[in-house]
Amino acid sequence: MATTPLKRRNALVGWSFILPNFAGFAALTLAPVIVLFYVAFTSWNVFGKARWTGTANFIRMWHDASFWTALTNTLYYTSLHIPLTLSASLGLALLLNRSLRGVAFFRTAAFFPYITSMVALTYVWNMLFSPDYGPINSFLRFIGIANPPGWTTSADWSMPAVIFVGTWREMGYYMLLFLAGLQTIPAQLYEAARVDGANPWQRFLFVTLPGLRHTTFFVVVIMTIGSFKVFDLILLMTEGGPGQSTLVLSQYIYQKGFVENQFGYASAVSIVLFAICCLVTIFQYFVNRRWND
Amino acid sequence: MKRTFAAALGVATAITLVLAGCSSEEDLPEAKPFPTGPVTISLAGWSLSTTPEFKTLADGFKALHPNVTVELKEYDAANYDTQMTADLAAGTAPDVYVLKNLKNFTTYQDGGQLADVSDVASKLGNTVGGLSGYQVNGKSYAVPYRQDSWVLYYDKDLFDQAKVAYPDGSWTWDDYAKKAKELTTGLKAAGSTAVGTYQHSWQSTVQGFALAQTAGASLESGNFSYVKPYYNRVTDLQASGAQPNFGTVTTNKLTYQAQFGKQSAAMLPMGTWYIATLIKQRSTGDANKFNWGIAPAPQFDSSTTGTSKTPVTFGDPTGLGINPAISDGGKVTVAKEFLAYAAGEAAAKALAGIGITPANTSDAVAATFFALDGVPGDALSKFAWSKHDTKPENPVSKHTAGLQNVLNTLHSAVLSNSKGIDDAITAAQTQAKNEVLNQ
Repeated sequence: MATTPLKRRNALVGWSFILPNFAGFAALTLAPVIVLFYVAFTSWNVFGKARWTGTANFIRMWHDASFWTALTNTLYYTSLHIPLTLSASLGLALLLNRSLRGVAFFRTAAFFPYITSMVALTYVWNMLFSPDYGPINSFLRFIGIANPPGWTTSADWSMPAVIFVGTWREMGYYMLLFLAGLQTIPAQLYEAARVDGANPWQRFLFVTLPGLRHTTFFVVVIMTIGSFKVFDLILLMTEGGPGQSTLVLSQYIYQKGFVENQFGYASAVSIVLFAICCLVTIFQYFVNRRWND
Repeated sequence: MKRTFAAALGVATAITLVLAGCSSEEDLPEAKPFPTGPVTISLAGWSLSTTPEFKTLADGFKALHPNVTVELKEYDAANYDTQMTADLAAGTAPDVYVLKNLKNFTTYQDGGQLADVSDVASKLGNTVGGLSGYQVNGKSYAVPYRQDSWVLYYDKDLFDQAKVAYPDGSWTWDDYAKKAKELTTGLKAAGSTAVGTYQHSWQSTVQGFALAQTAGASLESGNFSYVKPYYNRVTDLQASGAQPNFGTVTTNKLTYQAQFGKQSAAMLPMGTWYIATLIKQRSTGDANKFNWGIAPAPQFDSSTTGTSKTPVTFGDPTGLGINPAISDGGKVTVAKEFLAYAAGEAAAKALAGIGITPANTSDAVAATFFALDGVPGDALSKFAWSKHDTKPENPVSKHTAGLQNVLNTLHSAVLSNSKGIDDAITAAQTQAKNEVLNQ
């Protein structure tokens, strides 16, 4: 196929527009990601040359109990965090998608945690969760619970505590996406449903939910990837502890790579995390396509 | 279009691989005589405005050699090792850099990022502590300029209030635990809310002493039973209320400076670096003004207690090493001279003068340190500061960082009462064997 000068010129103009962004992306994200796939098959402590070790890192991972703990904990976090955040954000969006006095204030209030510094809010939540002097346990004792949980200092309760804070922080952001989605559902559909005698629950089930399908798909994909790579929240709240009760994959990668200087092994674990995110997204994509048909 | 994209990917990969591979080991350029003309060497440091030691060393060296300028390059204190690793790999690190802790020494040494400085080390006298920490196969790769050791800080006013006798250097850990409880009861009776002792959340506050003081204890052996008595004592102190429990310390982000400085605890096991901080905080109002002193760290048993013996404690030296990528022979000579100066008595006096515990603790240095305003002048404090057998917190080995992580898991599990000590030790030993020591 011969390219005409005009076509070539148009292509060049197009390229020049995306170049500034792409150059940054290529140098700072794409290239390191590609190198990661090489480093994962080596033993490398940052200095000197990486030594090719083939699949040794992956075999080691298979026998690494801490890796499996981290994977299980990540799945634990994801499996609770996604449904909770999804229902909380959708609920908030439905609640705030009506003309009531001060709706802008409530929307802002719900969005606030998302724009607050992670360091500051984990600091405050940790104090609220403090087992002996924290307000949460003081309240629980006040209503008659003699032995309230130790929250972030208990191996059984640390993960629920972290999930709760994660949900609280992110629901405002997804609420905003759902609100935008809700605006696109034509009012006539609700009217027609009402004329047909649909009650509020039926209107929600047969008008709102189908109308939000694209938004929901997007939200679930972003939330899934976000949950699998949860890091800062865990590091700041519990550092993976007590014991290994909240050790998640990205923290394990950080620990192996930047604390123990085993960049080859850390890269191999990253690839597994990458593969999980890819597989789950592809699966969700196919499910979504089937619904669309 | 597709082919162009693939080509771009290829180029990006090639560039990154070249960048990653270019930091290969190099030999030092041949040493030349000490230059007479102006010469500049660079030195790494962190938080320069609040950490005066680097400037003290640079200025002191300049006074001896007016033609040499020691240029300071500032790093972030919390991310020092990560940033230094990146700079060394990229070839932009300074000529002389600080080894902030022993844990990462192996990474640098094994990675070929430290020049052999055995000639400097061999000329240092026997008053310099911590030299052996930097030796690998008989060669030295860094020299220490400061050497902090863990001691026991105590608040004389709170001791008086609780009517408990001051430490006398004869304490074992059991004595310490007993006194912590007595203090708590005594202080409560006197109407104070302060408790007997404060132990910070770091794993070293328990494991550092256990490893240093227990005969035959070894991190590398993968047998961690030696930590058991130390943990039992701490969990008992937590349960009795003689020290804030681990959960309170971590969730409320308690700081040891405030706990001891604001008189919430009568005792504090901590490193000697805190002396300078405490004196400074007393003058700024961040700490109360009270009478205090330091005592030797409590001991494993009575065989090392008493002022006629040498108490065993732990602490890591802070050292200086030379970047092998240093550009010319003249600078090599200057850098080595700088290392010799930093570990020597003149620099030690200058460092002691700003409240730092230098690696060189000769009598003259001790005299300078205790002449400082605010440093407790009693005999036991002097003894605790200048006489001790300070073992490194960790052995220098490629397994250290991994084993530290394993033991940190044990630390938080046991102190939060999530696991019993026996189960935690078994789990840690299995983890160490299967995940760290087999690498």
